[in-house]
Amino acid sequence: MSKFSIRKSLFTWDKGVVLFLVISILIGSFGSQYFATASNLSFVIQSIAEIAIIATAMAFLIISGEIDLSVASMMALTSASIGYAFQAGVPFEASILIGLLVGLLAGIFNGVLVTVFGLPSLAVTIATLALYRGLCWVLLENKPVNQLPTDWVALGNENIPNTFLPWATIPLVLLAGVAWFVLHTTKLGRWVFVIGTNPVAAKFSGIPVNRVKLGLFAYSGLMSAVAGVIYTLRFASASPDGGAGYELSVIAAVLFGGVAIAGGVGTMWGVLAAVISLGVIRSALQLVGFSANALLVVSGGLLLISVILPRVTEFVRSQRSRASIQSNNKEKVNT
Amino acid sequence: MNFFSRALRIRELPGLLGLFVIYVGTGLINPRFFSPSVLNDILYGVAIVAILAIAQTFVIVMRHIDLSVGSVIGFTSFLIGDLSSQGYSLGAVLAVAALVGAAVGALNGFLVAYLGLPSLVVTLATLYIVRGIFNQVGAGKTIVESMVPKELNWLGLNRLFGVPYLFIIAVVLMVVAGVIMHKSRAARDLYAIGSNPSAAELVGIPVKRRILLAFVATGAVSGLAGAVMLARFSSASTQSGLGLELLVVAACVVGGVSIAGGSGTVFGAVIGAILLQQILLSIGALGIPQFWQLAVNGALIIGAIGLDRYLSTRVKPSNIMGAES
Repeated sequence: MSKFSIRKSLFTWDKGVVLFLVISILIGSFGSQYFATASNLSFVIQSIAEIAIIATAMAFLIISGEIDLSVASMMALTSASIGYAFQAGVPFEASILIGLLVGLLAGIFNGVLVTVFGLPSLAVTIATLALYRGLCWVLLENKPVNQLPTDWVALGNENIPNTFLPWATIPLVLLAGVAWFVLHTTKLGRWVFVIGTNPVAAKFSGIPVNRVKLGLFAYSGLMSAVAGVIYTLRFASASPDGGAGYELSVIAAVLFGGVAIAGGVGTMWGVLAAVISLGVIRSALQLVGFSANALLVVSGGLLLISVILPRVTEFVRSQRSRASIQSNNKEKVNT
Repeated sequence: MNFFSRALRIRELPGLLGLFVIYVGTGLINPRFFSPSVLNDILYGVAIVAILAIAQTFVIVMRHIDLSVGSVIGFTSFLIGDLSSQGYSLGAVLAVAALVGAAVGALNGFLVAYLGLPSLVVTLATLYIVRGIFNQVGAGKTIVESMVPKELNWLGLNRLFGVPYLFIIAVVLMVVAGVIMHKSRAARDLYAIGSNPSAAELVGIPVKRRILLAFVATGAVSGLAGAVMLARFSSASTQSGLGLELLVVAACVVGGVSIAGGSGTVFGAVIGAILLQQILLSIGALGIPQFWQLAVNGALIIGAIGLDRYLSTRVKPSNIMGAES
């Protein structure tokens, strides 16, 4: 019930995030002359591309009431597979396809453990976080692969000609667009919300809950793999320890974007606004001289605020409605 | 009820069996694995994760989780070294360590119990915040052996009857916590909360106070564990304790502390921690490249969760969680 009361209210958290994005851009622009430069904007987009792409899939999963902590490991496993295959003499294009396939399979494996064996996704993906990261070490040992084809590496580092947008913008916009479209306009998207609100009711109303969830885990694997390809090209290297801890940044961004950890609530544009504003605020704070440590505290603080504030507004609203019910009752007694 | 099905009810049994099989199996292939020095390595190396896993058990049996412990233990191990090198007494710095841990635990517990926020999110946030503060306080500083309190250095280097003191500390904590979890009313309440939070509320358990208390206890023990970490490594930097939280949760799960709440013991958590540490050494003894360690750990955790699920559905057909899902 409370979920619906939040959605009905005029001010919702995801709108607040967009407002926050605007404010942080303003602060950045006034705070530093270097903020609104083309090279900095390009840098900001590049720094959020991987997290944003994974976050689109994570939003689906969390809305459906599940979670995937293994995304950073799947991203690294994709990167390691690309490096391993390329080193073994496979053409680079084919190596990328192999990497994407590995990520997809890793996601499917998570999904099978959750849907077929009925294991809790939190525990399963903590385990596969270790497993997939471990496989990275098995594949590459401690020898990162650095000799990647230069024209591919250029894709990861240069801008689209005549713009300030890095090449990663193209998959980012495409994938975010698809995710937004599916979540908010298709039957599948509605199903995801229903499953997250009440899985039992969803099952009884004929939604193939397990198939949808399996699909979402596979999707999460594939998006992590795409992020892994971008990551590999950006750093021109496939290393076994790449992107460690990204899973926490992704989850933090998704929750900050107004997706409820209990499932059933969230919007794609809230999530995207959150990822962008976290990137922007990081850049802005760095430019005005904040240390990287302060940024950690800010990320944690924003995450806390994002869960506390909805709770507070809910509380205020329930107090207000209780007060109005009481006054109504008094009137009835009086008449 | 026959012996077999009763034995299956013991949550720690799979962990103990695994411990035994891997120990004997590795020893048969590589007899040097049976030497006392390997046993010593296992016990010495396991102390930190074992202590954190004991602390984590308090929250996991309530169906909650505390991810902030890695940041807390790293921070307090640094603080202990830093403050004692400035001349503070050991008692004072240990008190500071316990207080820092308890304060983080109190924040976690307050947000989870009184604002009803999910513990996963709250402790993820405090993981960031504590690590950020730690990085700021400890920027550019490294604690080296000469800054470690003498008593801690001594504890880290010596043993009693061949058993490392650090492991003895873990065992003493396990026994104390085990007795409390078994006998005390408040600790029994934690299991009730984990089995069914709303029912626990209805039978009159002060759920909020209990949750707060459990998080404070977890935080305080994790804070004090910083001393053990400093004794073990004789050094600390802003990298200390990074990523330790997942290993700790893994140890609990492997040891039969169910992530779904309501069951598991501190004894099991310690067994799980020893099992993970033993696998690390047995990989080396079997001549498998060290790079396999993490992958094997991951596979083991999947096995443990699967087995736990299998046992709980088979042994307790009237399981409420099963009916719910």
